[in-house]
Amino acid sequence: MAPLMHVLSFDGLYDMLRKAMEDRPVISPTERKDQPGFYHFAKLERAEDFAADYVTTTLPPKNSFFQPSETLFTFTLEQPPQLQLVSDTEHFVLAGVHPCDLSGLEALDLAYSQPPAEVRWPSDRKLATVVGIDCKPDDYCFCSSLGTSFNREGCDLFLTKVGRGYLAEVYTSAGEDLLTKVRKWEPAEEDLSDAEQWRREKIERMSAHLDAEVGEIADILEAGGLSHIWKAVAERCYSCGSCNTTCPACFCFNTYDEFDLSLKHGVRRRTWDSCQLLEFALVAGRHNFRQERWQRVRHRWHRKFLYLYRRLGRAYCTGCGRCSRACTADINMVDVTNRIVAHAGKGAEHD
Amino acid sequence: MTDRPVKVPNHLSNVFYRPALAQVLRVDQLTKVEKLLAVRLGTGEALGHEPGQFVQLSVFGYGEAPISICSSPTRRDAFELCVREVGTVSAAIHDLCPGDWIGLRGPYGRGFPVVEMEGKDLLIVAGGIGVAPLRSLINYVRDNRQLYGRVIIVYGAKNPAAVLFKDDIELWSQDGSLELFVTVDTPDETWTGKSGVVTSIIRNLDLNSPSSLHAIVVGPPVMYKFVAMELFHHGMTADRIVFSLERRFKCGIGKCGHCQVNDLYVCRDGPVFRYSELLGRSEAIEVWAPEEDK
Repeated sequence: MAPLMHVLSFDGLYDMLRKAMEDRPVISPTERKDQPGFYHFAKLERAEDFAADYVTTTLPPKNSFFQPSETLFTFTLEQPPQLQLVSDTEHFVLAGVHPCDLSGLEALDLAYSQPPAEVRWPSDRKLATVVGIDCKPDDYCFCSSLGTSFNREGCDLFLTKVGRGYLAEVYTSAGEDLLTKVRKWEPAEEDLSDAEQWRREKIERMSAHLDAEVGEIADILEAGGLSHIWKAVAERCYSCGSCNTTCPACFCFNTYDEFDLSLKHGVRRRTWDSCQLLEFALVAGRHNFRQERWQRVRHRWHRKFLYLYRRLGRAYCTGCGRCSRACTADINMVDVTNRIVAHAGKGAEHD
Repeated sequence: MTDRPVKVPNHLSNVFYRPALAQVLRVDQLTKVEKLLAVRLGTGEALGHEPGQFVQLSVFGYGEAPISICSSPTRRDAFELCVREVGTVSAAIHDLCPGDWIGLRGPYGRGFPVVEMEGKDLLIVAGGIGVAPLRSLINYVRDNRQLYGRVIIVYGAKNPAAVLFKDDIELWSQDGSLELFVTVDTPDETWTGKSGVVTSIIRNLDLNSPSSLHAIVVGPPVMYKFVAMELFHHGMTADRIVFSLERRFKCGIGKCGHCQVNDLYVCRDGPVFRYSELLGRSEAIEVWAPEEDK
């Protein structure tokens, strides 16, 4: 069923953001002051700073719910210790989320809710009203290969730029509430065709594509015999973990304790972690289950396109291209995956 | 075994990663590097674990580490944890004194299939500190002795000084219903028992009805393949051999990713696995080890 739709003027969008900012923080893509041309999700100070046309942010919006480093609880170093849970309670609006990143949030919703479910992630997610916005791809985007180009899951409101402003698709009452007291029109035929045109251009402009369906990629990875490719990729990989830390669908973490100088209080922190780091699969006695770099490279591909795909029914890749953009060695998710697909194709011809 | 729902006791089920408080009742130095802690939850409740499960133990200020439970759930007043000093958290655990407070999450994971093994013969093989979770199983079996058939225990340690749970071993050796073999790799002049690796004991066992036998094997990764080979020679099949794997769990509930063996989370899907479940999966027991451990 088609969602309820309105049209906002360009100023109407700013009105909507201003009204939302009156009673809660709005997190949205803004241009980084320290790095012009780069964008990040940050607290919006002025509605006019909302970046409607950004290509992508360096870090995905998951950091609105799970910061790169966050405090789980505080403790005292007395006997018995006093423990105090630290969790967010403030409602906020997360605005300007691209369809691929909506899919990333959905991926983490699914992963963290597997029993025994984590309570922390969903409790933070419930605090957010999410506004999606449609985008145009750059050379790294390949969302059409993952089926996330037109994803609307997990958003309360979704915006697409049209001639006279934005077409707003309403998915929840929280989304509709954002538009209360904002001037809006019924969508005209032209607005709908503008939005359709936008979506068509989005797909036409997409230059990067996976050469196989996700299910086929899973089968190819499962069949194995690809270690020479993993080893070739590992020759270039620095194991820096940039791919994981920029990934909207990565959710691994580490925990550790810190205590303060007074030796009276401390905190348990959790940080994003990366399976590409040497220490990730290390256990007591210095035994390491993925000591070799190529094993870690393989693990990343397998986890995204095989293990979690089989287990949870979806790829843990959204096609956002952040890992390829961030890679210090220019290892490209699409190029490597297509090399694997091509190798499997050749194998089939030989049989 | 795979279809069993993950059971988390209600009092610890709220996964905000905030541990419950527990108190150390007793600390015993078992060997130069291993201590045994008796612990009770602050609420006074029993832990409610199954043999083979583990807890996430916190020493506040130092961090959290997974520790397997080495007492039987049939002993309800307290539970015991055997800890080898190998890193920051385990060193902090070794500094604990009776009366000290710690944090606990869990029990987590899938334990030994004690219900499925009822009515069967058991061959329990322990290597090194692998005897810790197996002590939980052995004492559980002793407390439910009528539920199990023949029980054979093979425990191998590096040397006499490294033998753990000497008091238990004394009790087990006096228990006429158990067949106990304790062996050390390198005996000294004080050692009057068997010497050699566990596989040499297994090879010479008289297993008259391997079809009703279940083997439960816990030890260093390098041990598993060699033990499996001996068990196959006796006519056992991979679905009746279970292993327990060790990984560096950070969450204990299949989220943090550190323990992943291909598509399996050791903390959630294990740590106890059938050998048949691990076949075809890389990285389960293949490991890079430091030179001295090879």
